[in-house]
Amino acid sequence: MTQAPPIPKKTIALLAVVVLGVILMNAVFFTVREDQQVVVTRLGKPVRIIRDAGLSYRTPFIEQLTFFDKRLLEYDSNPTEIITQDKKSLVVDNFSRWRIVDPLKFLRTVRDEVGAQARLDDIIYSELRLELGRKQLVDIVAHDRAELMAQVTKESNQKAKKYGIDIVDVRLKRADLPQENLKAIFGRMQAERNRIARQYRSEGREEAQKIRAETDRERDILLAGAYEQEQKIKGEGDAKSIEITAQAFGQDSEFYAFNKSLEVYRASLKNKTTLMLQADGEFLKYLKTSSGKK
Amino acid sequence: MPMDWDEFKSKKQGGGMGPPQIKLPEFRMPNMKLTGVLFVVIATALWLLSGIYTVGPDEQGIVLRYGALNRVTSSGLNYHIPFPIERVYTPKVTEVKRIELGFRTIDPGPPARYSDKPNESRMLTGDENMVDLDVIVQYRISDAAKYLFNVRNPQTTVGHAAEAAIRQVVGSKPIDEALTTGKGIIQQQTLSEIQKILNLYDSGLTVVAVQLQDVTPPKEVIQSFKDVASAREDKNRLINEAQGYRNQIIPEARGNLAQILRRAEAYRETKIRQARGDANRFLATVREYKKAPEITRKRLYLEMMKEVMPTVDKFILGGKNGSGVLPILSLRGDALKEIKK
Repeated sequence: MTQAPPIPKKTIALLAVVVLGVILMNAVFFTVREDQQVVVTRLGKPVRIIRDAGLSYRTPFIEQLTFFDKRLLEYDSNPTEIITQDKKSLVVDNFSRWRIVDPLKFLRTVRDEVGAQARLDDIIYSELRLELGRKQLVDIVAHDRAELMAQVTKESNQKAKKYGIDIVDVRLKRADLPQENLKAIFGRMQAERNRIARQYRSEGREEAQKIRAETDRERDILLAGAYEQEQKIKGEGDAKSIEITAQAFGQDSEFYAFNKSLEVYRASLKNKTTLMLQADGEFLKYLKTSSGKK
Repeated sequence: MPMDWDEFKSKKQGGGMGPPQIKLPEFRMPNMKLTGVLFVVIATALWLLSGIYTVGPDEQGIVLRYGALNRVTSSGLNYHIPFPIERVYTPKVTEVKRIELGFRTIDPGPPARYSDKPNESRMLTGDENMVDLDVIVQYRISDAAKYLFNVRNPQTTVGHAAEAAIRQVVGSKPIDEALTTGKGIIQQQTLSEIQKILNLYDSGLTVVAVQLQDVTPPKEVIQSFKDVASAREDKNRLINEAQGYRNQIIPEARGNLAQILRRAEAYRETKIRQARGDANRFLATVREYKKAPEITRKRLYLEMMKEVMPTVDKFILGGKNGSGVLPILSLRGDALKEIKK
């Protein structure tokens, strides 16, 4: 009663079929993802390349699959020192982006990505040294960098073709001066800054002096003009005064002379003046005789 | 399976017809079968249900059938044929990612802490000077399928592209431009240069922003750069001082001018008025004088003498035939004595 009934043979057979089916299907069918590509080898001999994503099949157990990445891959070199045409050394650190376009060639020549990196090292470094060696430092840094790299990319790509590799891009991540040169550069930068600072200060003095001189000029002109006008105005006053008095005194110039003389005597004959009087003069004529006759 | 099902059905029917006492053993067989079938049904249902997935509002669904791109789904509840036939990836497409060049944020804080990466930040300018430059690059996924399947290590790729781009751009600028006015242009050109590289790689990435954080001269020479800044200040100061001198001198001179002119005018007016006064006085005197000229002259003369005489020393000389200087009368004794000698 408590013992489980025997599982029917039919069920066991069915299960076996299902399991076997799954194993076989797995051995025959395989999927290739969008970012993958496959080289199918039969007993070590490549027979097919599958580059399109989707469901594929193979002869089970005889055909082997080698998967490769289809995406853009990375290559990052170590910094290396390169001599430019003008005999300056430059530390360049470049990187590259590449992809496997012919997985079969790739498999045959470099086997895997590690092998590819080594080849890329050789190809890119030699191209880079060649191209940069033809240029002056300032051109590499400032002017022709983009064209230069395009050229290196093109040449490297040409050489990489036989490995089934497509070099999409080679670029300088860094192009700097070596440590030993920095001191000289800093010295030059400092000298240049000092020159600029001096220039600013003397420009300041120049400007200031110009402003002061201009100010003094304007002031002097202003004051000279003031003198000119002052004299003119005073002259007007004097002229008018002469005109007025002359007109008035002209009415009786003899009396004016007399009157003015009296005024002058009055003002000038003060103490300490000694006056000699003629006894028979006009003033003293009454002193002798009351008649005033001589 | 259909065979099983029929079998199950027939067995069940048979069981139903039998008497109650043999119910138990009869029941066990269909129960086993039922369990198996139920298991299969539930497993199938679960398998089918596993195809339900949600795409968040910030995500995009990329559905692969047998590894090949089949369709792109947008946010909401979606369904795909379950594994192993279809698979779905849901990268976040609206999220803005960032890359730091020249420094790394150790702790976003607050207070934020950073570590410096001098190798990354130091670069050559177009005039062979060095400059230290920190940059943040922000980017996001613009095409999820390209992002997933075209480039390995997108983050590193953006980093490399950014380093190459910023050095290329700064390398084409003189140091003064990089330090002062050129920052906006450098940001712009770097952004478009990075985007150009990312487009070349067909990476499905869009650069949102390039931000220059710190642009400084290398610390070895920063003192000289500061001195240039203070020299510029000195220049302005000198000019301002001169301007101040001007602002003081010119108004003062104008004030002087006004004072001189006013004084001159005052002189003119004074002169004219004085002349008029003199003239009027004279005219008035003349008018009266004309009425009796002889006697008036005498009177005026004597009035003057009266005023003058008391204060002066006087000698009276003899008549016109007298012996020259013979004093007859002196009001001052000592003077007389002197003459006697």
